[in-house]
Amino acid sequence: MTSGNPSVLAKPAVIKAGESIDPVFRQIRDIVYKACGIFQLDEKLYLLVDGCGRRMKQLGLTNSRDYWNLLTAQSSRDAELRHLLNELTIGETSLFRSQPQIDALRKVILPEIAGEKIKQITKRLRIWSAGCSTGEESYTLAMNMLEETEGLLKGWTIEILATDLNDRSVETAKAGVYGDYALRSTTDYFKRKYFTPLDGKKLQVQPEVKKLITFSRLNLQDDSKMLFMKGMDLIFCCNVLIYFDGPSKSKVINHFFSNLNFGGYFFLGTSESLLKLNDQFHLVHFPGAMAYWKPSLKSGKL
Amino acid sequence: MTLENHEAWPTMTTTVTDKIRDRIERIVTTPSIPAVFLPLVDLLSGPAEEANLDEVVRLVSYDNAIAAQCLRVASSPLFGMVKPPKSIAAAVMTLGLQRVETIVLTSCMGEAFSREKWGIDPVAFWRHSLGCAMVSRKFSEKLAGVDGERAYMAGLLHDLGFLASSMAFPEEFAVAVERACREQIPLHEAEQATMGFTHCETGRALAEKWHLAKDILDVIAHHHAPTQAGSAGSLVALVHLSDELCRVRGLDYGYYERHKVDLISDPAWSILLQDHRDLEGVDLARFTFELDESAAKVGEMVSAIFGPVAA
Ligand SMILES: C[S@@+](CC[C@H](N)C(=O)[O-])C[C@H]1O[C@@H](n2cnc3c(N)ncnc32)[C@H](O)[C@@H]1O
Ligand SMILES: [Fe+2]
Ligand SMILES: [Fe+2]
Repeated sequence: MTSGNPSVLAKPAVIKAGESIDPVFRQIRDIVYKACGIFQLDEKLYLLVDGCGRRMKQLGLTNSRDYWNLLTAQSSRDAELRHLLNELTIGETSLFRSQPQIDALRKVILPEIAGEKIKQITKRLRIWSAGCSTGEESYTLAMNMLEETEGLLKGWTIEILATDLNDRSVETAKAGVYGDYALRSTTDYFKRKYFTPLDGKKLQVQPEVKKLITFSRLNLQDDSKMLFMKGMDLIFCCNVLIYFDGPSKSKVINHFFSNLNFGGYFFLGTSESLLKLNDQFHLVHFPGAMAYWKPSLKSGKL
Repeated sequence: MTLENHEAWPTMTTTVTDKIRDRIERIVTTPSIPAVFLPLVDLLSGPAEEANLDEVVRLVSYDNAIAAQCLRVASSPLFGMVKPPKSIAAAVMTLGLQRVETIVLTSCMGEAFSREKWGIDPVAFWRHSLGCAMVSRKFSEKLAGVDGERAYMAGLLHDLGFLASSMAFPEEFAVAVERACREQIPLHEAEQATMGFTHCETGRALAEKWHLAKDILDVIAHHHAPTQAGSAGSLVALVHLSDELCRVRGLDYGYYERHKVDLISDPAWSILLQDHRDLEGVDLARFTFELDESAAKVGEMVSAIFGPVAA
C-alpha cells in the first residue's frame, strides 16, 4: 500500500540488490495476505520489510525472529498484527482527487438515482467510502452532496459510511484536520464554506459535514462484516484493491455487487480496472471517468 | 435493406429533405475541392499497398491552397524534420502515407470551408474527428476482417455534417451549439430539438453531392442511430461506438456532456457482435486506457495542424 507514498519509495534501504531476503519476511507476508488480501511480490517486499522495521524499532527489537515470535504468539498476535497493518497501509490520498468522478456523480448519476427514487416516500442516499484512509475522499463526497441539498437532494437523508482497515487512519479521519498538501486541489469556495481555520495553517472540516459521515474500522476481507453492508447506492473503493491479488480482489468485488442496490454504481480509482473479474457489473463511461454499474431491475439488462 | 440513397431518408418530410439538399447545393467551396477530395478519399481508404504515393502527390499539388497547408503542417517540429520540406513530394516521402493521409484530408476539409464560418470550434472538431479515426482503427484491429484504413477514413469523416450545417444553416446551427453547451446535452440532440434535423442529414446531403462511397455515406448518415444503417452496419456500428468513447475520453466537442455510455448495452454493440464474435474478448477498460495513450498523440497532431506556422 505504501508504494504510493514517495517517502517510503525513496528508501528501499533494507534490501539491497542481490541481497537475499530473510525468509521470515516471506512468512510475515503470508500472514498479512491472509489478514487483509495485500500481497507484496518479491520486488515490493521491501515495503513490508520497512514496515516491520519501523515496528521493531518502536518495540526496541533488533532480531527479526523475535518479531516473528511476537507476531505469532497467541497472547500478542492480534494486537501486533493490527499495529503492523497500520504501518503497511499508510495510503496516499487527498481531497478532490478526481474531479471527473465528482462531475459524473453530480451531473449524471444523481439525477438518474433521483429519478429512480422519485416515488419513494423517504428519500435516502447511502454512500460507502471503502478504504477511506484518513478521510479525504469521504469529506469530498460529503461536501459535494451538501452542495446538492438545495437542489436534487432537497429533503433527502444522506448517509456516508467510511471505513478503513487502518484504525490509526480512521482516527485521523474523524478529526478532519488537513494541511495544504491534502487540500491542494480544494477550491477556495469549498475551503471557505466547509472548513474552519485552526491555529497554524491547517483547516478543520465543519460539524455540518462530519454529521453525514460514520467512520469505522472494517477489513474488506472480513466476509461476515461485508455481508452487513447492505443497501448502498454508491460505493467508492479507490486505490485500495491495487495490491490485492486476483482471488481477494474478486471476493471483495462480489461483495460489492450484493452490497449495492439495483441501479447503483461502484467506482475504482482513475487508473484501475476490474479486468473481467466480475461480469455482472456493466463498465460504464462518463466524461473522464469510468464506473461499474449494477443494472436497475427495470432496465432489464441483468 | 438495400435502399438507394435518395430513398432512405427516414422520418423526414420531403420538404425538410428538399430544404437541406437545396441549401447544401448552394454551399460555396473552393471549386477544386471535390476534384481533389474524392479521388483522395478513394485512394487513401483502400488497402495500403494500392495507395500510390505519386498519385497522392499529384492530387495534392492540384490545389495550391491544399498544397500550402500540407507543407505548413509537414513543417511542424512534431514531425522532426530538420529542414521544412520544399516540395509536396518531399513532404510525402518523409511523412509516410498514414500521416499524409491525415494531413491532406484535414487540409482539404479546412480549405473547403472557410474557417470564419465554422459553427463549431475547429480545434475541438479536429481533435474529435482525428480521435474518432484513431479509435475506429484501433477498434478494428481487435476485430478480424475489418479494414483498418476504411475504419480510419470513416471515423475521420463521420461528422462532416457539422461543417455542412455550419455553411448551409449558420444561424440555426449556432443556436443548436449554444443550447448543447448550455444544457450540457449531446449536440445531435440539441440539433434535433432546435432544428428538427441533425448533422447526419446535412452531412449526408453533402456526401451525396460529393459522391462519397456508400459505406462512408452510411456512417455519416447513421452514426447516431446505427440500427437504421443498412448494408454497412458493421462499419457504422464501429464508428458509433468509437464516437461515444471519444466523447468520454477527452476527445469531445469541447464542452461537458451529461452523458453515460454503456457500450455493451448499446445496440451497436450487438450489431457488431453479430459479425464479430471476437468482440466478446475485448476488455473495454483496458481498451480505454490504451486509447488514452493514443489520445495524447492526437492532441499533438491537432496542434501541428493549428500550431504556429513554422518559419
Ligand atoms: C491509497 S489509500 C486510498 C484512499 C482513498 N480511497 C483515495 O483514493 O484517496 C488505500 C487504503 O486502503 C486501505 N486498505 C488496504 N487494505 C484494506 C483492507 N483489506 N480492508 C480495508 N481497507 C484496506 C488502506 O488502509 C489505505 O488506507
Ligand atoms: Fe456526430
Ligand atoms: Fe462525433
